[in-house]
Amino acid sequence: MSPATDTDLEAFRAEVRNWCRANVPAGWRGAQTGVSDDEFVSFQKAWFQQLRRAGYAVPHWPAEWGGGLSSAQQMVLYQELAAHDAPRLVLAFVSIHHAASTLLAAGTDEQRRRHLPAILDGEIWCQGFSEPEAGSDLAALRTTARRHGDTFVVNGQKVWASGALHADWCLLLARTDPDAPKRRGISYFLLDMRTPGIDVRPIRQATGESHFCEMFLTDVEIPAADLVGPENAGWQVAQETLSAERGMTMLELAERLGHAGFGWLLDACARPRPDGGRPLDDPVVQDRLVELEIEVTALRRMCRHLVERHDTGGAGPVDASIVKLHYSEVLQRLTDFGAEVVGLPGQTVLRKPVSSGWESGAWVLDFISSWEWTIPGGSSEIQRTIIGERGLGLPREPAVGP
Amino acid sequence: MSGGFAELHDELRAVARDLLAGSAPTAAGGSAGPPVDWSLLAESGWLGLEAPEALDGAGATFAETAVILEELGRAAAVAPYLGTVVLGVGALLLAEPTSARDDLLRRAVAGEARLAVALGDGAADAVPPVPAFRIEATAEGHRLTGAAGFVPDACSAHELLLVATDPAGEPVLVGVVPGRSGVEVDAQPLLDATRELATVRADVVVPADAVWRFADARTAPGRLFDRGALAVACDGLGLGRAMLDATVAYASVRRQFGRPIGSFQAVKHACADMLVQLTVAEELVGAAVEAVVAGDPQAGRAVSMAAAHVGGAAVEVVGKALQLHGGIGYTWESGIHVHLKRAVLDRSLFGSPAAHRRRLAASLAPR
Repeated sequence: MSPATDTDLEAFRAEVRNWCRANVPAGWRGAQTGVSDDEFVSFQKAWFQQLRRAGYAVPHWPAEWGGGLSSAQQMVLYQELAAHDAPRLVLAFVSIHHAASTLLAAGTDEQRRRHLPAILDGEIWCQGFSEPEAGSDLAALRTTARRHGDTFVVNGQKVWASGALHADWCLLLARTDPDAPKRRGISYFLLDMRTPGIDVRPIRQATGESHFCEMFLTDVEIPAADLVGPENAGWQVAQETLSAERGMTMLELAERLGHAGFGWLLDACARPRPDGGRPLDDPVVQDRLVELEIEVTALRRMCRHLVERHDTGGAGPVDASIVKLHYSEVLQRLTDFGAEVVGLPGQTVLRKPVSSGWESGAWVLDFISSWEWTIPGGSSEIQRTIIGERGLGLPREPAVGP
Repeated sequence: MSGGFAELHDELRAVARDLLAGSAPTAAGGSAGPPVDWSLLAESGWLGLEAPEALDGAGATFAETAVILEELGRAAAVAPYLGTVVLGVGALLLAEPTSARDDLLRRAVAGEARLAVALGDGAADAVPPVPAFRIEATAEGHRLTGAAGFVPDACSAHELLLVATDPAGEPVLVGVVPGRSGVEVDAQPLLDATRELATVRADVVVPADAVWRFADARTAPGRLFDRGALAVACDGLGLGRAMLDATVAYASVRRQFGRPIGSFQAVKHACADMLVQLTVAEELVGAAVEAVVAGDPQAGRAVSMAAAHVGGAAVEVVGKALQLHGGIGYTWESGIHVHLKRAVLDRSLFGSPAAHRRRLAASLAPR
């Protein structure tokens, strides 16, 4: 890296710092604990617009669409947002990452022009991939889309659609050719959530919250213009776009974990108990903290390298899987240790602030919600299979059934 | 790291792997391989990678040495590289330049002088180590006394560089020749047949010109120790990678229940975990190498992170390799025991993982 670039980066860091000091809402954690869904949504939308005005909402998008920060700048941005404990973009996550990367990679110009500016204006997206009988085996999905002229008619059930209650649009996978091999008969759609025939019901999850939804689709009509990529090539579109977005989202999360997450864990360990003793004074606690610090340090570097390799086209086929697997497990270990360290007083923390990262300092709930990482998006077991087969070239399991 | 460097390293790695292939245990019926031809290493320029060109070196950095170290680990090669290059040449480069130093450096680079350095007593597990020798000013001159166990490559060394505390309490290097009266070197029996460790005892009056000062006495011993600890982490990374490769190859051809065992998830997932562990190890080693090359004042932290993690991870990966090879893995002939014993020894050399974590714990700072 040339000295000039370093200077530029430091200037950018100073700019972000100043912005954070002036803009991160004071006391937002307290204010956003235990709020209603509506308050959460309006807080998220307002924060998104604030970031957007500064040019920080979609830094990973191409410049022509409103992004254009370099990877190095994005990393600085995420470091500073994490260091200043800024709220995270939870509600817009699928919109700015999954939806945008799908549109940029496989969408038509018209689809991009229609949705990318709308996303900047607050259009919210959810993902309709999983089904009750198609979890880890996503390609077994049974929701059908039958073509009638310029319209597809969709019937079926989706599950685990995060934020679907608030979504304006949905990224939908549905089967368009029931006779083709299962990965060759799926199409990728953009579904307007106002379309008649969509019934969304929240699912109460292990933490007691309801971030996920079931979606029942009955004769839902989608114009053929909302098909992404060729008909029956939806599986391939999904594969490409899922790995394309993973680098930067993981980097953001790893920076959160390194700055805020580990910092809070240290703070928790430094808080005196009623007898005046601190967990941090115990060499066993110190030892485990250092182990976690080492793992988080490696994770952050791993994410940085993943992003750099994406930029240069040198990413390996399972680099993203390795990062996802490692992040999920480090998050789980770190929040587990947090829950252990805070002990019984931690059990009385009944709510975690919404709009926060996966580690919020409500350690028991943070620990429980860490399964939101080890299960979705390809469970840790699926990631290991991918790493073994595509990364190491180990033989596949003999196929059973269709 | 720029593309140019990455390419250079790939080339160096390929040449090293090729040259060291004959040194692997699999080429020796499962026992430790024959010692690497030292003159070949000298001719390849790998003894003087970090020495300045004016002293017949390549003027490169620890990043290049790290490539060789990883390949030595991959082959579980028998070579006094730790003693002569990592610590010996490393110590000479940290010493105040004198004509005697330059001369010894040239001879080491040419493969004529093998070196060993005693940083402290290896059994003490202190991170960083405490010098095991001291110099007293006596009527006869500088009297050197002390003893250190587990000094790498001391038996085959032509010259020993002992880190000692001088009368002013400052660390210095004392050059002594093993076998001379008053300097005893005794090889220690080891389970790991690829490494050589020895006890060094000294009680001898040394001439004033045998005492060499460090250019920066405050930081030099720590930096030397960091080189050693990082070298062992590079070695562990190489050991682990070799064993993952061997395991994947074996699991792809070994059949049970009518299928290659690598098609079973229990085996496949274990291999995936090995790869993840090695990827984590690679990141930590990479960070530490960059810090050492840059002369970062925080390099010790990065080195301890690498040492603490890789020490344990290498043992786990090699142990898993033995497990996944099944009964064959437990035979002498498979040679996996050679890698396992070396990984276990590596974990204890230049500070245990727990000792490195203690060093890191000292800088845990809540906000």
